[in-house]
Amino acid sequence: MTRVYLRWVPAAVVTAVITAGALAVPLQAGASVDLPDKTPQEVLELIGDSTKDSLSGTIEQTSNLGLPDLSAGGSAGGSAGGDEAASALELLTGDHTARVYVDGHDKKRVQVMDRMAERDLIINGYDVWLWDSKENTATHVAVPPHDKGDFPKPGDTPTPAELAEKFLEAVDPATEVTVDDDTEVAGRTAYDLVLTPRSSEDTLVGSVSIAVDSETGLPLRVQVTAQGETEPAFLLEFTELSLETPDADIFEFEPPPGATVKEKELPEHPSKDGKTDGDHDDFPGEVSGSGWDTVIELPAGSAPAELTESPMFAQATEAVDEGAVLSTTLLNILITDDGRVYVGSVPVERLQSAAAGG
Amino acid sequence: MLLALAAVPVLIAVAVRLSSSPPEPGRGPPFLDRVTQNGLFVSITALVVCIPLFLPLTVGVVAGDTIAGEANLGTLRYLLVVPAGRVRLLLVKFAGAAAFCLAATLTVVASGALIGAALFPVGPVTLLSGDTISVGESILRSLLVAGYVTVSLLGLSAIGLFISTLTVVPVGAMAATIVLSVVAQVLGALPQFEWLHPWLFSHYWLDFADLLRQPIAWTSFGDNALLQAGYAAVFGALAYGRFVTKDILS
Amino acid sequence: MGEQPNPAVELAIETRGLTKRFGHQTAVNAVDLAVPRGSVFGFLGPNGSGKTTTIRLALGLAAATSGQVSVLGQTMPGRLKDVLPRVGALVEGPGFYPFLSGAANLHRLDSADRYAPSATRRARVHRALDRVGLGHAAGKKVGAYSLGMKQRLGLANALLMPRELLVLDEPTNGLDPQGTREVRNLVRSLAAEGTTVFVSSHLLAEVEQMCSHIAVMSVGSLVAQGTLDELRRAGESRVRVRTPDIAAALRVLAALGLAPEQTEPPGRAGGDGNDDSHDDGVVSAPLAPDSRPAEAIVAALVAGGVRVRGFTVERASLEDRFVALTGEGFDIAQ
Repeated sequence: MTRVYLRWVPAAVVTAVITAGALAVPLQAGASVDLPDKTPQEVLELIGDSTKDSLSGTIEQTSNLGLPDLSAGGSAGGSAGGDEAASALELLTGDHTARVYVDGHDKKRVQVMDRMAERDLIINGYDVWLWDSKENTATHVAVPPHDKGDFPKPGDTPTPAELAEKFLEAVDPATEVTVDDDTEVAGRTAYDLVLTPRSSEDTLVGSVSIAVDSETGLPLRVQVTAQGETEPAFLLEFTELSLETPDADIFEFEPPPGATVKEKELPEHPSKDGKTDGDHDDFPGEVSGSGWDTVIELPAGSAPAELTESPMFAQATEAVDEGAVLSTTLLNILITDDGRVYVGSVPVERLQSAAAGG
Repeated sequence: MLLALAAVPVLIAVAVRLSSSPPEPGRGPPFLDRVTQNGLFVSITALVVCIPLFLPLTVGVVAGDTIAGEANLGTLRYLLVVPAGRVRLLLVKFAGAAAFCLAATLTVVASGALIGAALFPVGPVTLLSGDTISVGESILRSLLVAGYVTVSLLGLSAIGLFISTLTVVPVGAMAATIVLSVVAQVLGALPQFEWLHPWLFSHYWLDFADLLRQPIAWTSFGDNALLQAGYAAVFGALAYGRFVTKDILS
Repeated sequence: MGEQPNPAVELAIETRGLTKRFGHQTAVNAVDLAVPRGSVFGFLGPNGSGKTTTIRLALGLAAATSGQVSVLGQTMPGRLKDVLPRVGALVEGPGFYPFLSGAANLHRLDSADRYAPSATRRARVHRALDRVGLGHAAGKKVGAYSLGMKQRLGLANALLMPRELLVLDEPTNGLDPQGTREVRNLVRSLAAEGTTVFVSSHLLAEVEQMCSHIAVMSVGSLVAQGTLDELRRAGESRVRVRTPDIAAALRVLAALGLAPEQTEPPGRAGGDGNDDSHDDGVVSAPLAPDSRPAEAIVAALVAGGVRVRGFTVERASLEDRFVALTGEGFDIAQ
């Protein structure tokens, strides 16, 4: 009988080892890192001093906004415009892995790795290419030489550096900035800068934390946590990072034979391709409030009828007096019956009063 | 079974060839729209079509038959009396199932490449990233993909081997293995089970496309290999525990 | 009844208290088997008496619930890898791949044996097939074989290598009389070469003709074991007296120290057409080996006024013995 028992030991051991390994790896990743202490100011300076401008790495984005999975029905819209909006929404709310290659300011490539497909943004000097393998289309945008300086922020999936900058702009009296325990991201030690809204009533955001590489000052991870949540609602982080200059031919792009090639003028708004994260500087709408409780208003007609009339829309939203509300953990969107759109990381009531006031 | 697998790319190629309008991008299985431009894509399209069902089906049949089939024919007792050694028999059977995975995948790839070359033009291949590579390199990539898919199926093979030690009815073991592969894929499609997804043996099945990027994204290859090795280890050990203590009564 | 195993004799198979339970059902119950080396050992018992299970336990195919088995002096299943290469076996009918030829099946099994030299494989397969008379069908698919041919192929498999012990479970199952005789001759010639042959069967006649030793299983237990002669001798003889004087015959036989009983009442024992015999009955009594000779009993009966119309001494056949040991369920006719 003991012999019978012994022969199951390998199965038990293998299972135990794998379970232990699966549990230990995340623990190890969060293993304590001890760096020389820095004040928030010093960490901010570290970011500001960051001169590292060539790297390659893998970025992972996970969103947990409490939204229905849009990736499944993403291509339901009929018109190209609807598709673009859906794909923009999907890009922001879905989970993604992207590879990023940067060599100086004028050579960048972002590869959003979808399952069985890929979307690329290639910036090489004055040439900007957008490539979509699923549609088999390559879009070329020629940047006029004098505009070059104005095109520093390619909108596609933002790198941690870009997002962090955005949040650091918001650092004002409304925000408490602290440095949390040192951490490790993509195998590199990092300071964890935490921004917490001083008032918890005006905004849905609980905290924003930015992991800053202790050596180069590169932001390695951005986490946005909603009020009252422990798991981040939005996470963008490097899972792999190499500081070596990528091969030059990564930035070379020739549209492949058989692909549809589109030429596009540099759009009025760099965000028109619909893939930005809501860079509101150039918005046609109005912005009210500042800091955490900013509310963005889009004029009537912004919400396409085909979207508001779709059954999915009715399912995802909640009807209120003014129209319909789409609630997520980080963001509330109010779409009034006349097609105005109010967006903000604020409670619904704030949007309603903004709509009434407007 | 290999013949049936070889027929899949042929069916795809002939269907595309005979249809009057070329497939639209983004419709049908991925890569289907590329087939008319480049016959080498028949292989990849066929793999995409085969991975969810046909390949697990054939692997389930082979892996489910490993031990239960011998038991059913009565040859198992003669092999053990030889003595072949129970552990050795398990290892040989798993190696056989793994060899079948490779043969099945290569069959799809090779048959796809041949029929594609016969019916469509062949030229430099466009990768997912939009870069093009030469025909020679594309064959290399196809072989890499075949390797990836083979590795992907090892976990399922180990599961089939284990189930096969539980019964003397090979059809039961085959069906159970195939059902498991379907269940894993259904669970993988349900967002409610997201926490479970990285643990499903089918999780990385379709990520072989990462080998078609430029540069190659090896992460999924490594993750997949690790996952499949884990499955092989767990179910290999379970099969060992079951088989060495089993009374061979058939 | 069974002979105690003699420790001086080297045993090819020895079991001690071998027990195998499947759930609540006991298939083999405390079996102490002793198969001497060099014997042709007949393992008898009705279908379902535990013969095949005992063989599976001895060959390490199944694990005993309790008790020990040793084969060729080595404990099983611990020393399985050392023991089994020296054992050829045919277990519960042949098992082959129907889509392979007979020769290919043997090749496959032989190549699973690490001790079997691959250089001589072709020759050994060929010889084994010839020996069982399958040389002409070597290239035929096993699926097309008759049951008898498959059975022969199973025997050929057991003969691929020189073996010290052959375990043949129902070797003549499915064979025609001609084939049965061939198997008998094969077993004899193997035994003559010094191989111990352990043959299980539910056919008494078959075992009686080729075995030197016999063990009998009944519902999982070993009920008799020994040489053929020992078992024959252990069987009892009976006197049968046909007479109309039943009461007198009973009295006389009882006076002789026997335990007589009336097996047939008067008027039922007739049958030779003789008018005298219409009122005959039969009285019989078991005859101990040390009791009086038959002629003395007849004399005593006649002296006692019994009209003896028939007198026989019946020596029990092995068959009667098995019926006695295993019950009437024994399927002799098969």
